[in-house]
Amino acid sequence: MSSAEPSPGVPVEPGGVSPGATPINVRALRPYGLALLAVATAVGIALAAELAGFEKLELPLLLMAIGAAVWYGGPQSGIAAIVGATLSIAYFFARPKYSLHIDRPDLGYFAIFILFALFIGSFAARRRRVEDDLRRARAELEARHVSLLDITHDTIVLRDVDGSISYWNRGAEELYGWTSKEAVNLVTHRLLQTVFPVPLEIINEELLRTSRWEGELTHTRRDGTQIVVSSRWSLQRDAAGQPLMVMETNNDITERKRGEDDIRRLNAQLEQRGRELEASNKDLEAFAYSVSHDLRAPLRHVAGYSELLQKTAFSVLDERGRRYVASLHEAAKKMGTLIDDLLAFSRIGRAETRTTLVSLGDVVREVLRETERETEGRDIQWKIGTLPSVHGDRSMLKLALSNLVANALKFTRPRPRAEIEIGSSDDANGDVVVFVRDNGVGFDMKYVNKLFGVFQRLHSVESFEGTGIGLATVQRVVARHGGRVWAESVVDGGATFYFSAPKP
Amino acid sequence: MNGLGRILLVEDDPNDVDLTLTALEEYNLANEVVTVRDGAEALDYLYMRGAYGSRPRENPAVLLLDLKLPKVDGLEVLQQIRSDEKLKFIPVVVLTSSREERDMVASYALGVNAYVVKPVDFHEFVNAIRELGVFWAVINEPPPGSVGRRR
Repeated sequence: MSSAEPSPGVPVEPGGVSPGATPINVRALRPYGLALLAVATAVGIALAAELAGFEKLELPLLLMAIGAAVWYGGPQSGIAAIVGATLSIAYFFARPKYSLHIDRPDLGYFAIFILFALFIGSFAARRRRVEDDLRRARAELEARHVSLLDITHDTIVLRDVDGSISYWNRGAEELYGWTSKEAVNLVTHRLLQTVFPVPLEIINEELLRTSRWEGELTHTRRDGTQIVVSSRWSLQRDAAGQPLMVMETNNDITERKRGEDDIRRLNAQLEQRGRELEASNKDLEAFAYSVSHDLRAPLRHVAGYSELLQKTAFSVLDERGRRYVASLHEAAKKMGTLIDDLLAFSRIGRAETRTTLVSLGDVVREVLRETERETEGRDIQWKIGTLPSVHGDRSMLKLALSNLVANALKFTRPRPRAEIEIGSSDDANGDVVVFVRDNGVGFDMKYVNKLFGVFQRLHSVESFEGTGIGLATVQRVVARHGGRVWAESVVDGGATFYFSAPKP
Repeated sequence: MNGLGRILLVEDDPNDVDLTLTALEEYNLANEVVTVRDGAEALDYLYMRGAYGSRPRENPAVLLLDLKLPKVDGLEVLQQIRSDEKLKFIPVVVLTSSREERDMVASYALGVNAYVVKPVDFHEFVNAIRELGVFWAVINEPPPGSVGRRR
């Protein structure tokens, strides 16, 4: 603060002239000139009064002149005035007149005059100094105050209760575009075309009652653009409690408001999307529901009647006829399985997940137990590594793993000794990767992109049964858990299926 | 239609009616079956309204109820039965094509006695129907006020 330049509003020190503008000798002579002027004026008036018949005025007039010289010209000027006044009395007023000779009896008078003059002069000088100090301190304080208000970017306006502006800081100049000079004495809400959230009278009532008010206002800047400000008003009162002025600080929150509006709009959009999604989910559910009800019924009938036909018309049908009926029956049964698988698959997308910490090791052990019956009599070498725990829906994760294990079992069937390995590792992204590796018939990597599609099969039904939904199910489950699924294989050289999941 | 029925079959699909009756025939239970084709007719039967105004007063020993029915669906029929003092003890078996979990949950919430998904395979279907018929219409002791067993 000490290095702050004095602002233009600081009064110039009395008796001084702005430095550098005036030659040094003139400045030095100024006190003496002032003393001379004061004394000469006093003497002139006293002489004129004497001519007019008024006696003995020289003493008070000259004392006044000394006082004035000290006040305006400082101690030097005062000394000069005392000297001048003493000489003037000796020359113009003490007998013998018009001579500097002083009679012996008058010496005491002169001595007392000079003492008295010195006395007055010193008082005046001291008073002057105190006043100067005060003024300087005040000026400094004001400078400091004003520049403080000016360095903030907040808009600070001082005004009276009716809105008439008395102070307009730099922040206000920058924000609104009017300079302090232009704004002072104008009325805030007229200048800024303020839009109040509630009528101004109500705001003023609150301001007078609680001495403060806060709210959002819309202002129009000089360039015509509108801004939203967060406005705080605080009322200053005088000693008698009467409203003195209002300090209004305004913060531009237009951007923030716009951001808030954006967020609101985006939220609304999101909600809309959510509703649409919900609607389409409902559609899907209705679809699945009617598939489940209505598509299975005719299938049952085909299966039922073909069975009945086989039974009742067995004797009339020839070998070919019986085969046809049997095929009919098989086809219906297969379609039943397909529909069930498809419904299970669609349920993955619709069902709500119940997320817990799932130990994949436990899940795999459970899956293996359930396959025991199916694998009876087969030579299978299991190699189960340590498996991590992940956050997810246990039943879905189990569905995925059991599909992968079932695949491994299915495609190793031609091997005299099946080798199936289940293990895990960490990938570069810090995700958990689980793999199921087999020494089965494998597949051609050419078709790897078809592997996870619904109803996609890379083997004939004769060699390996299946509906082509298993791996699609795996992919769906893994995707719902935020992971991905992929596979590597060599024809006749086994296959490895991987899926990743975020670490818990 | 006004026959004394131990089994009330509520089923809109004629093929399903046919196949169900065929399955029950094997145990000579087909004659015990009264078939209605939608939920409204089922309620008419139970409340002895309309065409069923003159039926014997006894309740059926079991109700085989399809869920997807015209006019009044199966769940509504079930709800109506369970909230009626005179009907609420009737054993009700839901017999449906749907494996939808919400149907199952809703049925049990309304107090169904059994929930059976009709198997696609006819053998399984016949077995299921037969067992149901035998259990509920022959083995199970129906609540008082039901059609008694014919000796």
